[in-house]
Amino acid sequence: MEHIPSFFHRRVTRRDFLRLLGALAVTLPAWSLAGRHAHAGQTNARRKKGIKGDHDLVVAEGADPYATTVRAVEALGGMGRFVRKGATVVVKPNIGWDRAPEQAGNTHPEVVAALVDLCRTAGAGRVNVFDVTCNDARRCYDTSGIREAAEAHGASVYLASDWDVVKARFAYESPMEGWPIVRDAVACDTFINVPVLKHHGLTRLTIAMKNLMGVCTGSRGTIHQGIGRKLVDLTDFISPELIVVDATRVLLRNGPQGGNLADVEHRDTVLASTDPVLAETFACSLVDVDPDELPNLVEAKARGLGRPDLAGADILRLKA
Amino acid sequence: MNMNRLVRLRRFSQILCLVLFVYILWSTTYPLSGLLPPETFFKINPLVMVMTALSGRVGLVGLSAALVLVFLTLVFGRFFCGWVCPLGTMLDVTARLVRRDRWRRSLRTGRMRFIKFGVLFFVFVAALAGIQAAWVLDPMVIMARFVSLNLIPAATRTLDGAFVFAMTTLGLREVLIDAYRWLRESFLGIQVPFFAHAVVILLFFALILSSVALAPRFWCRCVCPLGALYALAAKAAWMRRLVDICKHCTLCIPRCRMGAIREDMTYDKGECILCMDCVYDCPQHGTRFGIIARLPERRTESGPGISRRNFLFLLALPLATLGRRVFAGTPARAGVIRPPGALDEEVFLDRCVRCGNCMKVCITNGLQPLMFEEGLEGLWTPRLVPEIGYCEYQCTLCGQVCPTGAIPRLGVEEKKRTRLGLAVVDRSLCISWAHGQECLVCEEHCPVAEKAIKVTERRTPSGAVVGAPVVDPELCVGCGICQNKCPARPDRAIRVQPLSA
Repeated sequence: MEHIPSFFHRRVTRRDFLRLLGALAVTLPAWSLAGRHAHAGQTNARRKKGIKGDHDLVVAEGADPYATTVRAVEALGGMGRFVRKGATVVVKPNIGWDRAPEQAGNTHPEVVAALVDLCRTAGAGRVNVFDVTCNDARRCYDTSGIREAAEAHGASVYLASDWDVVKARFAYESPMEGWPIVRDAVACDTFINVPVLKHHGLTRLTIAMKNLMGVCTGSRGTIHQGIGRKLVDLTDFISPELIVVDATRVLLRNGPQGGNLADVEHRDTVLASTDPVLAETFACSLVDVDPDELPNLVEAKARGLGRPDLAGADILRLKA
Repeated sequence: MNMNRLVRLRRFSQILCLVLFVYILWSTTYPLSGLLPPETFFKINPLVMVMTALSGRVGLVGLSAALVLVFLTLVFGRFFCGWVCPLGTMLDVTARLVRRDRWRRSLRTGRMRFIKFGVLFFVFVAALAGIQAAWVLDPMVIMARFVSLNLIPAATRTLDGAFVFAMTTLGLREVLIDAYRWLRESFLGIQVPFFAHAVVILLFFALILSSVALAPRFWCRCVCPLGALYALAAKAAWMRRLVDICKHCTLCIPRCRMGAIREDMTYDKGECILCMDCVYDCPQHGTRFGIIARLPERRTESGPGISRRNFLFLLALPLATLGRRVFAGTPARAGVIRPPGALDEEVFLDRCVRCGNCMKVCITNGLQPLMFEEGLEGLWTPRLVPEIGYCEYQCTLCGQVCPTGAIPRLGVEEKKRTRLGLAVVDRSLCISWAHGQECLVCEEHCPVAEKAIKVTERRTPSGAVVGAPVVDPELCVGCGICQNKCPARPDRAIRVQPLSA
């Protein structure tokens, strides 16, 4: 018995036992409260800051995705308008698929790299790049080239975790009420939505609003039922400060992941805007699609989420 | 104390090999950037390599490496069992924990040691008859399955859980999140793997470890077919135990973990695993190991002494198994989805050694161990369970880590054309077909560039038009991502049927 450490055979007195119970009675509810707080839902405090660009939409054309992106954002008023010093910025590209840049299933890595650079130059404290992917996340991050490009320019690129979420809360009744959203997408100072324009079987095209499904975890397949309404509510919840649409090369058929280079055409265009409806409507015109074919765009127009008329908007076209 | 230098050296080697073994399996994951090939310990395993090659009538890459081990055994004896084998090390560690008293009497295994030769013989005759039975009791396979399907999942689950607990409940997210993200992408792997009925694999492993209650290394003395193979080779080994001074104190006899030292102080060279204990147990310091010109052996051991009746019995067993296959016509059924490019079912069952490498490496965790769904022969072979994980279109990992080529190494383009099954839409469950709602999640995820899932316009009773999925059997490769992502519950509305179903 002498080998056994003394605390194993120390007698537990009644006092000891009651003390233990008392300690548990204090700590357990505290833990459970802390846990509940960690899982509490929240509304987005960042919403409706109302930052405007110098133009409603900038359409930059150029063969170099990096330079074109820089020109588009600068023409809109510069990144300093959206990112204050020390800010935590989310750059949310589409990294959904295990596809190479030329297959046009994901945002072009150079577009992402340009935005990361602009954020860093504007003084961002931290630039987070992530996506909740459809294929295996490691393969998507690697094959898309986005991990390498964004990390090389100083971004934190990481895989989203399904426990690290907040539940979406809405001021109105929403089918997205309580949906788990990656915490960092909400807990940031600036959210930059960087979709790639491409074909989609259900929504005809996937652009900015559909790209936001990449901040949702959970069983995302059910978002597809009544998708227009859900994507608009999601866009309203996240309220990205800046939307940069990658239309450098466009997957015209067999989206959203493609794979066949014959389905890809060059448009050499990058759009920058603060208005998701205007950006998406213009993007439709790039590929000759009627905006009314997009259920989310129809819903967004009806809800007044942005301006749908290309004719009345202040659109700056430039060549990079 | 420099006295037990050799014992310490042996222990160092054992721990190094065990760590290496676990490291190799731990790094058997995307993107396979480990320092050593994932199948290293199988390629140097003559039992698995020779018997699989023999039963399949094929030359296997790695056969030569395995034969090098046999050659080394011809020089040094059963060093592999004492210095390398990770299962042997686990048994030693367990024995040390359970049998604190080294003097505790062991079961006198005596002639029970011939059981392992019987096992080896059975495996050999089965291989001649075209049936690969080496996997059943091969120590490397047993250990690998335990490490890949029990140990690593348990370790990663515990670590991951501890981090998540600290970050959510304890509120340490800001402090730990960056370290956690780094860990997840390097050491932990992205997902905590789950394996169906892994507990059965654990119980099997625990049963083997519990044999130390009978005698330390009971498994190695009496059961292990790889040990038997090495024992046969070791009988001819150059290096041997030399006793210069002996006062017949017999101290070494009960302390020999292999029970290799006889009452007359001679020893069985085939049983000695060169643990070096007897060198230091000898109060006379009169025992050593060395290479010396042949000593007159006082008693010669003549291999596995089995009777003619036993021989015929052993011969009959595998032949009977074969006969059942040939005459009863075992259906090459594969009522399950096999990994991409897996050999024809009957060949696959013989080639697969059930090491679990493919399941460990599977990037989506979709490859799962079978129980008896494919009959007794299918035990612990891999199947794809699309509900858990689909076959990633451009991933070729399982073929790259298979030690025997049961799953071939495919190039990416070849893999993308390789069929695993065929997806079938169940229109009575489909959200679009049965409920007239928009969905097309399956079509969205279909990785085939031309889309194996086509959209057909369907008019719902209320007059609305929705797109509904239809599978093109010409294009579908059966990867199962549609089944994995289908939002219909509890049963998925699109399911992959195995090829032969």
